[in-house]
Amino acid sequence: MSDHAPAGVHAVAHDHEDHGGIAQYIYVFIALCLLTGASFFTYSSYWPFPKQPKIGWAFMMSVSCTKAMLVILFFMHVKYEANWKYVLTIPAAFMSIFLILALVPDVGLRGHWASEEREQYMAEPRTPAATGAKHSGPRGKKSAESHAGGESH
Amino acid sequence: MAEALTHAPAHGAGHGSDDHGHAGGHLTLQYHPGLPLTNGKLIVWLFLSTEIMFFAGLIGTYIVLRFGAPTWPFPHEVHLSEPIGAFNTFVLICSSVSIVLGLEAAKANKSSAAKGWLLITLALGSVFLGVKMYEYNAKFAHGIYPWKPHSLIYEKADLNYAAAVRLRLEALESQLQAEETALKTRLEEAKAPVDDNPQIKVIRKKLDIVTEEKKYEREAEILAATSPDEVVRHDSLEALATRIMPLAAAHGAAASGHAESEGLNEENPWLHLPIRIPGGNMWASTYFLLTGFHAIHVVVGLIVFVIMIPMTLNATRAGMVENVGLYWHFVDLVWIFLFPLLYLF
Repeated sequence: MSDHAPAGVHAVAHDHEDHGGIAQYIYVFIALCLLTGASFFTYSSYWPFPKQPKIGWAFMMSVSCTKAMLVILFFMHVKYEANWKYVLTIPAAFMSIFLILALVPDVGLRGHWASEEREQYMAEPRTPAATGAKHSGPRGKKSAESHAGGESH
Repeated sequence: MAEALTHAPAHGAGHGSDDHGHAGGHLTLQYHPGLPLTNGKLIVWLFLSTEIMFFAGLIGTYIVLRFGAPTWPFPHEVHLSEPIGAFNTFVLICSSVSIVLGLEAAKANKSSAAKGWLLITLALGSVFLGVKMYEYNAKFAHGIYPWKPHSLIYEKADLNYAAAVRLRLEALESQLQAEETALKTRLEEAKAPVDDNPQIKVIRKKLDIVTEEKKYEREAEILAATSPDEVVRHDSLEALATRIMPLAAAHGAAASGHAESEGLNEENPWLHLPIRIPGGNMWASTYFLLTGFHAIHVVVGLIVFVIMIPMTLNATRAGMVENVGLYWHFVDLVWIFLFPLLYLF
């Protein structure tokens, strides 16, 4: 690869060597560990929003995006690369977003258009009765809440 | 550029540069590539851009499927351990640091140090895969597979589910009776006491459990098939499914207890009765697909490390270490998103 590259290529590649050094890698490593701890915090009993999962999801995705940016910018040295980085990454990012959006009508919203026959075999939304009927007999009465439908967690 | 073409067209008209000089009355041109990076690095980045789309497709599909599903299993129901996932994340972050330190060592022409860092990366990648294998094994042991007939997962406690439980219990009963008969015959031929034999006792104890469960299942199934009351029909089968494997009450550490610590299947792992996990089949498909493809990428990275470690990793090979490092960071990057999506959402 680079062994056979013309001399000028080496010269250009070496232009980017000045990028923070080992101390910077250690700082990024510490930041990544702390951020992993922050995501894990949502799992702990100290997390203040256990009843509002959307807050936890938004928090975790923010943390993940921050971690990803740290890896991309400093470990993959993208921060120090020339503008070619945009040519490769931005179209790929857009294609990824379009790919996901294209799935939403047919796949994401499949529950809205399910036939009655299909619904018979689908999993039911989680209800208190499903978790609370532990080891009760087969004749146990179904609670009224179980008919009200539950929100998927 | 125009000057270069006029005076020295043979010196690479396509790679023109302005920073040329005159030496002895002749032009001296310096080669500049179209993009300011080596061919190898360009290829790795082009490959990574396709990988971005590949994993974005997989992760995006997971997100769309997961949030479009009527329900989704809690991690404990599918035997996922958040601390183990966090540990694996930490391992991959450490491996990202070690590979980047390997690159710095190679750039500084310290081949031995570079090899050492690559060896550490290889070890960390192997730890990650080992933990993944342990996790996969926990799922397989509980009948969580992405395909039938190995998978024991049913979406809901309906008559299909009850019939599957009945068939499994009948098969177990026949198997245990056959084992008991064979052992009894052997013992009688050897004129050894039958009733005091420990193996016979174990088989009979198992048969007692199967008989009791068969009775319970039969009552539940008949009730579900005959009762005029929809609530009774529903609850009879729910109770059967809960008896075999109760669902978790809540998410994460706030859960009132780990679902896997209770239930017939947990108390008697040999039973292997069908389990009711709402959304479990889709979960298993997406989980094994995502983590499987990620694990394949880890394996490829480890193979490259094994190939590179015997090489002299000095400054001339720094480009190669950098390219492998880019790939490895990408593998880490994918896991950064997979960990919260699979373990914490």
